[in-house]
Amino acid sequence: MARRSPVKVIGSRLLQALPVILLATFMVFALLKLVPGDIAVTLAGDNATDTRIAEIRSIYGLDRPFLVQYGAWLGKVAQGDLSQSLLTGENVATSIGRAFPNTLLIVVIAMVLALVTGIPMGVIAAVKPNGWVDKLVSLIASVGVAIPGFWLAMILVAEFSLKLNWLPATGAKSFSASPIEAIRYALLPGIAIAAYGMAEVARQLRGALLEVLSSQYVRTLHAKGLSMSRILWQHGLKNVSVNLLTIISLLVNRMLAATVVIEAVFAIPGLGSLIVRGAIQRDFPIVQGVVFTVVVVVIAVNLITDLLCAAIDPRIEQ
Amino acid sequence: MTITTRREAIALISGALVSASLGGPAFAQGAAKKGGTLRISAPANPSSLDPATGGAGSDHAFLFTMYDTLVEWEFETLKPRPGLAESWKFTDPTTLVLNIRAGVTFHDGTPLDAKAVKFNLDRNKSDPKSNIKADLLSVASVEVSGPLQVTLKLNTPDTALPGILSDRAGMMVSPTALKAADGGVVTRKPVGAGAYSFVSWADGEKIVVKRNEKYWKPNRPYPDGIEFSIIPELTTGARSVTAGQNDLIYQLPPRQKAIIERASSVKVVHGPTLYVFQIFLNWAKPPFDNVKVRQALNFAIDRESFVKAALAGLAEPAYMNLPKSHWAYDAEVAKLYPYDPAKARKLLAEAGFKEGTQIEIGGYSDQDSVQREEILIEQFRKAGMNVRFVNAPIAEASAAFFGPEKKGSGLLAAWTGRPDPSLTYSLMFTKDAYYNGGRAPVPPELEAAIRESRASEDIDIRRKAFATVQRLVMENAFVVPLAFQFELVAMNKKVQGYKPNLLGKPKYDDVWLES
Repeated sequence: MARRSPVKVIGSRLLQALPVILLATFMVFALLKLVPGDIAVTLAGDNATDTRIAEIRSIYGLDRPFLVQYGAWLGKVAQGDLSQSLLTGENVATSIGRAFPNTLLIVVIAMVLALVTGIPMGVIAAVKPNGWVDKLVSLIASVGVAIPGFWLAMILVAEFSLKLNWLPATGAKSFSASPIEAIRYALLPGIAIAAYGMAEVARQLRGALLEVLSSQYVRTLHAKGLSMSRILWQHGLKNVSVNLLTIISLLVNRMLAATVVIEAVFAIPGLGSLIVRGAIQRDFPIVQGVVFTVVVVVIAVNLITDLLCAAIDPRIEQ
Repeated sequence: MTITTRREAIALISGALVSASLGGPAFAQGAAKKGGTLRISAPANPSSLDPATGGAGSDHAFLFTMYDTLVEWEFETLKPRPGLAESWKFTDPTTLVLNIRAGVTFHDGTPLDAKAVKFNLDRNKSDPKSNIKADLLSVASVEVSGPLQVTLKLNTPDTALPGILSDRAGMMVSPTALKAADGGVVTRKPVGAGAYSFVSWADGEKIVVKRNEKYWKPNRPYPDGIEFSIIPELTTGARSVTAGQNDLIYQLPPRQKAIIERASSVKVVHGPTLYVFQIFLNWAKPPFDNVKVRQALNFAIDRESFVKAALAGLAEPAYMNLPKSHWAYDAEVAKLYPYDPAKARKLLAEAGFKEGTQIEIGGYSDQDSVQREEILIEQFRKAGMNVRFVNAPIAEASAAFFGPEKKGSGLLAAWTGRPDPSLTYSLMFTKDAYYNGGRAPVPPELEAAIRESRASEDIDIRRKAFATVQRLVMENAFVVPLAFQFELVAMNKKVQGYKPNLLGKPKYDDVWLES
C-alpha cells in the first residue's frame, strides 16, 4: 500500500478529533447540569430570596433550555471565545492561559524525572532477569505504583520544606519571569507525580526489552559475535522505542489527571485547581474551558505519538 | 463608649479576657510601625469585588480592606460605631439622617460626599444586578439634605439599618468608577475609600492591594500592602504559614490548632464569633411539623460534649442564634434546652413518634462535617432517635434543602451571622424567607416581634424585643443551634495587632509587622 502524505494524515486525524471534542464537552456540560446544585443560588448571595434567584437565572440565561445553553457556549468557542466565569467575570481563556503553564511545568518535570530514572532501571532489570537487581527494581516499581501521590507529596513537604527548608511548600512562580524559581516551586509536585511514572516506565520497558532480547534475531546478533552492550543499546532500545513512546503518551494523560490532586496539596494555581473550583461552584464556563483545553492537549499528544511511531517504525500502518 | 448595662459590662470584660488570654494585640511589644507586606492565605476566591453584586460571606475578608463602610462595629460586641458616617440619628422612626465625614475621597480622587452616598444606596437598593436589594427593603428614598448629609426616608421603622450599613450595603464604591465601568459593576476593578487600594486579582491565585496614602484614619494602615494567596485547601494554607511563605491564615478548623501550635514560628489567636453550627429544620413536613419532635431534638443534644468532641473545645455551646458576648444575648432563653435525653424521649412519645423511626437529615461531605454528624448520631440515638445523614457537597446539599426540591427534613449546616441580629431572624424565621426551607408559616407573634426589634433605636428596648424573638424561635424549636465556632487565626510571630471580631470576618485595622 502506498504511504499517504503526512499532511493528509494530520488533516484526517484532526477531522476525527472534532467529534471527540464535541462529545467530551457535551457530556461534561450535561453532567454539570444533571448534578444538583445551582450557581444561581451562589450568585444570589448570602441573603438570597426565591425572587432574586429567579431574577439571576434570567439575567445570566440560566433559565434557557439545556441545549440552547450548550449551543450558545459552542457558538462562542467556534469564534475563539471561551466566554467568562459566571461568578467573577474573568475571561476563561485568561484563567487557562495563566493556569496551564503551571500545570505543564509540573508534568514536564515529572516526565523528565520519570524517564531519567525509569529507563536505566528498566534496562538494568532486563539485562539480568530475576537477578537481585531485577528484584530490587520490581520492588521499587511496585512501591512506586502503589504509593498515592498526595501522600508522597505531604511526606515530601514535611521533609524538604518544613524540616530542611530546601524547597517551598506551596505555590507556583511564573516560568517566563524566573525559570529557576519556577522549577524550584515545581520540583516537589513534579517528584510526587514522577514516582508513578518512574515505576510505570521501568516495568513496561523491562517487559518490552525482555521480549526483544529473547527474540531470534537477537540470538543471531549474539551468534555474529556482537557485544551485549551493542546489542542492547543499538538494537534493543531501538526496537522498544515505539513502546516507550506509547508509554510516554499514556503517562502524559495520566500525569495531567494527577495534577488535580497534587495542585490542591501544593496550592498551585494550575488547570487542576481551576477545574475543581469551577466544578464546586457550578461555574460551567470554567469547567467547559478546562475540559476543552485538556481534550485538545490529549488529542495532540496522541497524534504526535502516532506520527513519531510511524516515523520510527515504517511497519506501523498509518 | 459608655457602658449602659451590667450585662454589657460583663460582655465587654469577657471580650477583653479573650484577647488577654491570647497574649493578644493589646499587649504587643513595641510601638506600631509602618512598612512591610502582609501575606495572607485566604480560603476562597472572592465571588466578586463589587460589594453589591458579590454573593459569598467569604468575600468580606477582601472587601473590608478596600471599602470602608458608612457604619462600623465594635469588634467584641458588634455594636454599631461611626465609620464613613461620623454620626447618625433617627429624627423620627421612619427618618434616618446620616452625617458624612468631611474630607474623605475614594482611591480615584472622587470626593466621598452626600451625592456619592446617595448614588451608592440607590444602586444597592434598585440596580437589577444588586444582590442586596432585600437588605434595603425598608428604605423608600434617599435624599441629599446637605453637602455631607443624606436623609433616608423609610417605609417602615427599621433600626437595623445602622447594622445593615456596616455590611455590604454600606460599602461605598466610587461613583466615577461605577459610571465608567462596563455594565455598571466593578467586579474586577474595585474602587473604594478603604485603607487599601486595589492592585490586581488573578482568579483563584492572588489578590494584591496597596496602602491608601490618603486614608482618613490617622496613621492607618501600617503595612505597605496585603497579598492574599488563595489556597482553598486549609491544611496546605496552614503549611504555607508554618513554612514562612505566608504571614497569616484565617478561618482554620479547630483540629488545626494543635498541629499548627507545634511550629515555633507561629502564634494562634482565637475568639468567639456569630458563626453557628445548627440544624435547619423543615417544619412544613413530617416529622418536624410537630413541635414536640423539634423540641425533642433540642433536648437530645449534649452541647458541651459536642463542643469538646467535634470542635476541640474551640467553640461556645449555642442555645439560640446569638452568643454570650453579643449585646442582644438573653440568658433566660439559653436555659430552655438543657441536655435531657429522658425529656426528649417523653416528648417523642407524646408526639406519637415511634422510637427508632429513621429521620433523614442532609449534611455536607467534608471531613469536619462528617465528624460532627457521627457525634450527633450517637447523641440522638441515646434519646431514641435514629438519624441518618445524607451528605453532598455544600452547593448541592443546600440547594436541595432550601431550593424547590425540599429534600430531607433537616440540614446540618451553619449560619454565618449578620451585623444586625434582626436580619438573622428575618432571613430564617419568616414565611417566605429562603432559609425557611419549608416556606411554612411562623406564628404571627414571631413576625410581629421581629418587626418590633426594628422599631426602636434604644438598645435596651431592642434587647428586650430580641429576647422575645429568640424565645419564640426556640419555644417553637424552629432550629437546633449547636455551637458558635471560634475564629481561629494562625500567624507568624512578627504580625502584631490582630484582633478577632464577633462577626468572624477578619478585619486588619490595627495590624502591623515587626521587622
